[in-house]
Amino acid sequence: MNANVYLPALARIAGIEEETRGARAIKTFRVEFPEGGNFDHACGQCAMLSLFGKGEVMISIASAPAVKDYKQFSIMKSGRVTTALHDLKVGDIIGIRGPYGNQFPLEQWKGRDLIFVGGGVGLAPIWPVIQTAVANAEDYGKITVFYGARSSRDIMYKADFEDLARKAIVQLSVDAAEDGWQGYTGFVPANLMDKAPSPNNAIAITCGPPIMIKFVIQNLQKLGFTDEQIYTTIENKMKCGVGKCGRCNVGKDYVCVKGPVYSWAELKTLPQEY
Amino acid sequence: MDTILKKERLGEWVAQIGSRARVFAPAYADGIWNFSPVAAGVSIELDHGNTVRPAKGFVFPQREVLYRFRQESGKAPELTETLPDTTPTVVFGVRPCDGRAMVRNDKVFTCGFKDPYYSARRDQVVFVGLACNMPPSQNCFCLSMGGSPHSEDGLDVLMTELDGRYHVKAITPKGKAIVESGAALFDKMQVPDGNAVAKVHADADKCPQRSLAAMEKIAAGLKEHFESPKWDELARACIGCGACTYLCPSCHCFDINDEITGNTPLTGERVRTWDNCQFPDFTMHSSGHNPRHDTGARLRQRVSHKLLYFVENHNMQQCTGCGRCISHCPVGIDIVRVATEVTGQ
Amino acid sequence: MVAIEDIRTRARELLEGGKVRAVLGFRRSSAGLLAEPTFVTELNDVASLVWDATCVHNLALYLVNEKKRQKAERNPDTRPLAVIAKGCDSRAINVLLQENHIARDEVVVLGVSCEGGGVIDVRKLADVLRGKEATAAAYEGLGSVKVTTASGEATLAASDVLADRCLECATAYPSVSDVLFGEKVDERGFSSRFAATKAVAAMTEEERSAFWDGHFERCIRCYACRAVCPMCYCDECVVDSTSFIVGPTTTAEEKANRIRWIQRSTTPADNAMYHMVRAMHLAGRCVDCAECERVCPVNIPLRLLNTSLESEALEMFEYTPGTDPAQPSLISSFRDGDPNDFVR
Repeated sequence: MNANVYLPALARIAGIEEETRGARAIKTFRVEFPEGGNFDHACGQCAMLSLFGKGEVMISIASAPAVKDYKQFSIMKSGRVTTALHDLKVGDIIGIRGPYGNQFPLEQWKGRDLIFVGGGVGLAPIWPVIQTAVANAEDYGKITVFYGARSSRDIMYKADFEDLARKAIVQLSVDAAEDGWQGYTGFVPANLMDKAPSPNNAIAITCGPPIMIKFVIQNLQKLGFTDEQIYTTIENKMKCGVGKCGRCNVGKDYVCVKGPVYSWAELKTLPQEY
Repeated sequence: MDTILKKERLGEWVAQIGSRARVFAPAYADGIWNFSPVAAGVSIELDHGNTVRPAKGFVFPQREVLYRFRQESGKAPELTETLPDTTPTVVFGVRPCDGRAMVRNDKVFTCGFKDPYYSARRDQVVFVGLACNMPPSQNCFCLSMGGSPHSEDGLDVLMTELDGRYHVKAITPKGKAIVESGAALFDKMQVPDGNAVAKVHADADKCPQRSLAAMEKIAAGLKEHFESPKWDELARACIGCGACTYLCPSCHCFDINDEITGNTPLTGERVRTWDNCQFPDFTMHSSGHNPRHDTGARLRQRVSHKLLYFVENHNMQQCTGCGRCISHCPVGIDIVRVATEVTGQ
Repeated sequence: MVAIEDIRTRARELLEGGKVRAVLGFRRSSAGLLAEPTFVTELNDVASLVWDATCVHNLALYLVNEKKRQKAERNPDTRPLAVIAKGCDSRAINVLLQENHIARDEVVVLGVSCEGGGVIDVRKLADVLRGKEATAAAYEGLGSVKVTTASGEATLAASDVLADRCLECATAYPSVSDVLFGEKVDERGFSSRFAATKAVAAMTEEERSAFWDGHFERCIRCYACRAVCPMCYCDECVVDSTSFIVGPTTTAEEKANRIRWIQRSTTPADNAMYHMVRAMHLAGRCVDCAECERVCPVNIPLRLLNTSLESEALEMFEYTPGTDPAQPSLISSFRDGDPNDFVR
């Protein structure tokens, strides 16, 4: 990391994958560091991506910490900076600074079953945890991944899911009925209840649209998961990323520093703002 | 290090300092008191109440260029870091509430990630405080905030006005340096001087101020009454401007924006500017969701940040009782009254 | 003589009859000398209503703000708001009516005459009292203001402590109201309309330029001036957005393509641009309540900008904003006789 926390390192766009199209398109970017400036990160951490003349955005690092050659970001087109990011080509240079935020406590989860529940682009922040867990499968119990999108066209990381299905139990869903769809039809929280994973010695990690997270947590509690067994990530509008600009706090916590990872036990002590 | 400076020698001391540093002092211009640059050879009069703008601008200016960028189409951008120039700066007439606020600002900007822009300025600005013999404003409440009219926290030197002279106490090494540099001008402190200072300070402590219940009570009350309907009531008149936050000596929210100066090649600056949690879109998400979408929620954020969250994080209140937000709020929203009413004290 | 009990009685009647959702008036403030706006909804609180020379605020502002607030409510209370309005405040209400921002039945105007007096300018008072703080101020008639400080009472000349806009005011009572408290007094004999801005206009271009540069340099862009102006009701301000309207259906392109006309930075150029564009957007609409100037923490004499444009509106088009809600608004109408020597 730079001595000046606000000054980004420069990195090169090495690969761009179109995950979904349409008004809220998602693209996955692989970013390399030919001039150095790469940094290690832990699962859950984020980085500030910079486009000069446009601004910065805080994005979860979607690649596993074990991957050293590049960093992966899956970004939904939403506003000024993300639209400009979507206009980039392979070879373009962006600014990047990080890693920021806290991490998923993977060490504490060793020996336990892991149940991932993701929706839409919310798969990206928990993807590094999934990858790390399956790569070190002997350290963890049963690994299950629930993931849903609006339609089969909107499913992210399609190619990776084929591979993942060999190493973990994958439960995909689409919101609306679709010809030829083999998986579950319905919202992610409903799919979760349908499959009813056991809370016994398990940890549930969820990320997605706020409304999905709300119902997933409710359903996990119905299934018998305790508040300490449920993990999620929160976000807020961010500018500095280092706990100084005063914008991203939820109660006493600056999300860019104390978050984005929270257990529900911790999160419910903060002011509720959904 | 305690010394005495005769009032008629203040001008000389200022002039001496001015030969090696930029000097600022409160001046009355355009109907308000503000820190103004002191021209060479001009003396200063420390007879202000409190300045409208706080001393935080010296370490956290309203506009700070973080770095410049230059990018030719298709090529890598060049970044030029723009750390602040470190011309020595000495500021006179800083009230103890602004000094204590500096301690709070230090927590924000130097703990965790160290902010190099803040540190560059903080390390070389010398704050020469002036004790309050009387509350500068009817809205002062420094005592309730754990401070005092003669607190030394955050200051490098503290002056106290006595009869025809000032007690000058150097607190930090930076403070000692500027006092020692004017050594010939100062007189030794004698016992009667010490007694006079003690009396002035004791009298000042007894002057009536606004009063707020103790830190722990207010913090606990704010936490308990987070959902109180009183927030909406108390904020109903709020117009959503930045008077309270921009005049506050310990408010530190900022925005970062790119300001483009040229297009081919692309040139510009990444600039930090003060921002304000009372502006409606401060927390507006790109999705259109705004966690603090009304004045009640935003007032609650400001008051809770000052009197609860900062306490939870740093075991001290962020507010130091200067009263500027109360005096300058266009509609009379009063943090002392708000905190008291919401917590039911 | 305006009797506060008369105002309170009417307020009680309106609340008891359920005719209004609140009575918006003034009460004493813990923050200082000036009264503060208060929304009275309970009969018990009617006694807190006050009326004196410290009731400076233009409460028409809240007709705008409440409308914005109610947009976000599921079941807003659609009863009218009763608003205590001075002459200047009622002119603001008239402009809001004229521009169809509110309907006449959305407001009950409780008009109050200044009866030849006006409201206090806190900074002028501070100058006169040389640092002593006042706890009460009342207009006594015959050009006198009685002020109470820690050391007793003092009678001061009105022209020394009343706001400049009051000294220049031509009609210190509401032209449109549902009820009027106090006598209409026309002759006030303090100053004449536009006196202050004409003094600035008499400067040379260099002097005037230096005058405004010096003031804009001090601006901290707190936007108190804009926030307090009833006429600045745009959800999204063209000059700078602290209230950019983003909803679930706002597209990424709309957000990406939004133009930043000026920067957030407090450079003299950006500051000047903000103030001048805002003044232009108020041309023909500003009623000289001078709240913008009062609330400015760094004392920029903002009303000089707006009254300069209004003096042109009067000269060129015989137009004074807010006198008649039925009159077409200046900028959105034309008459055959309008000057057009600039058309070539």
